Amino acid sequence: MAAAVAAVAAATTAEDEARLLRLEEQAEHGGGGAWDYLCLARRLRARRPAHVLRVGLALLNNASARSGLASEQWTLYEQVATAAMDCQRLDVAKDCIGVLSKQFPGSTRVARLEALLFEAKSEWAEAERAYTQILEINPFDQIVHKRKIAIAKAQGNMSLAIGYLNKYLELFMADHDAWRELAETYVSLQMYKQAAFCYEELILSQPTIPLYHIAYAEVLYTMGGLENLQTAKKYYASTIQLTGGKNTRALFGVCLCTSAINQLTKGRNKEEEGSELQRLAAEVLLNNYKQQAPSKAPLISSLLKNMKLS
Amino acid sequence: MGIGYVVGVLGGAILAHAAYATIQYRAVLKITEEEFSRPPMDVMMELLLGLVLCMWAGLAVPTKFLSVLPHSDENRIVSLPANLDFMIFNHRGRALPSDSDLKLHT
Repeated sequence: MAAAVAAVAAATTAEDEARLLRLEEQAEHGGGGAWDYLCLARRLRARRPAHVLRVGLALLNNASARSGLASEQWTLYEQVATAAMDCQRLDVAKDCIGVLSKQFPGSTRVARLEALLFEAKSEWAEAERAYTQILEINPFDQIVHKRKIAIAKAQGNMSLAIGYLNKYLELFMADHDAWRELAETYVSLQMYKQAAFCYEELILSQPTIPLYHIAYAEVLYTMGGLENLQTAKKYYASTIQLTGGKNTRALFGVCLCTSAINQLTKGRNKEEEGSELQRLAAEVLLNNYKQQAPSKAPLISSLLKNMKLS
Repeated sequence: MGIGYVVGVLGGAILAHAAYATIQYRAVLKITEEEFSRPPMDVMMELLLGLVLCMWAGLAVPTKFLSVLPHSDENRIVSLPANLDFMIFNHRGRALPSDSDLKLHT
């Protein structure tokens, strides 16, 4: 069972993101680095189908470049097929899958792509049937289980998607992507208490990722109530710590939480460290706006004054 | 990078010279029939210098150090990967015109 648990996808760092954009620009204008770009997009699991389709097809249509990739070309066919489906270029996707099925007859991976093509065509029953056949061979195929959840989601049947996700997480409870998907689904249905539970799981398993801290803080802030607001403020503060004060959303969060807490308590039981935190957050926020968007600095200044934070 | 290699070679040469000096010193002791207790002070200093240079080169040559701070640019997380396992295709992209000359030439 442990072997079946999906590997954690690396979160995108500021450096990775800058490199991806640089390579994308380079590849789009024929400056080389096309394969590097496609590899990085795959590693970061970036969803940039239009670019991947253009750059990938240019590589596949160039016979010498394609032969230079050796066995890696099949991974590229798969990547381009998925990007083509995402761009609704089903003809291109069909061609890529055709090449792959000729090369790997009876492959489960190709069968998954064929089922994905049914999904792209909105042929849900066909896709379901294809996935059921794969699950008969391997009942613990995580990707196929996830695709069944995606089908329910694509049809707009959110309660079924949640049911499937909960069943899936009983089997594979260390799958962070599934917890995240469940959290986002709950948030979209305004089921904040359940979403908060999912984010707690994510923070427990990956405590160094600030985006989970901020998502949890926002869910708590949305739920409201003094206790939730105080906890939300702590998680906004931990986001600020993990990002070195570079997360504007978290800085705003601290200010908003402080303002909401002050309104609820009508100014009584003010903690000393709390007021220090809000003062610093407001100061950093104002400095950031003065540096990066000077025209908006007066707006922020008046906003903070209205909140009685500066 | 170049200076790292030079320092590494220099450190290695100094260590080799220290070894050679120690062998020579022991040969002299055999002739004078004295007991060997430890290498002379200049050899010890040479050994320490060689060690420092080799360690510096060993750390500097392979690659640059990466920051361990969570908020430094190479570690600061700005976005999570797209949840591609749950990707759905019935989105607004369907309505956008696509490049019709994009074809796979087989």
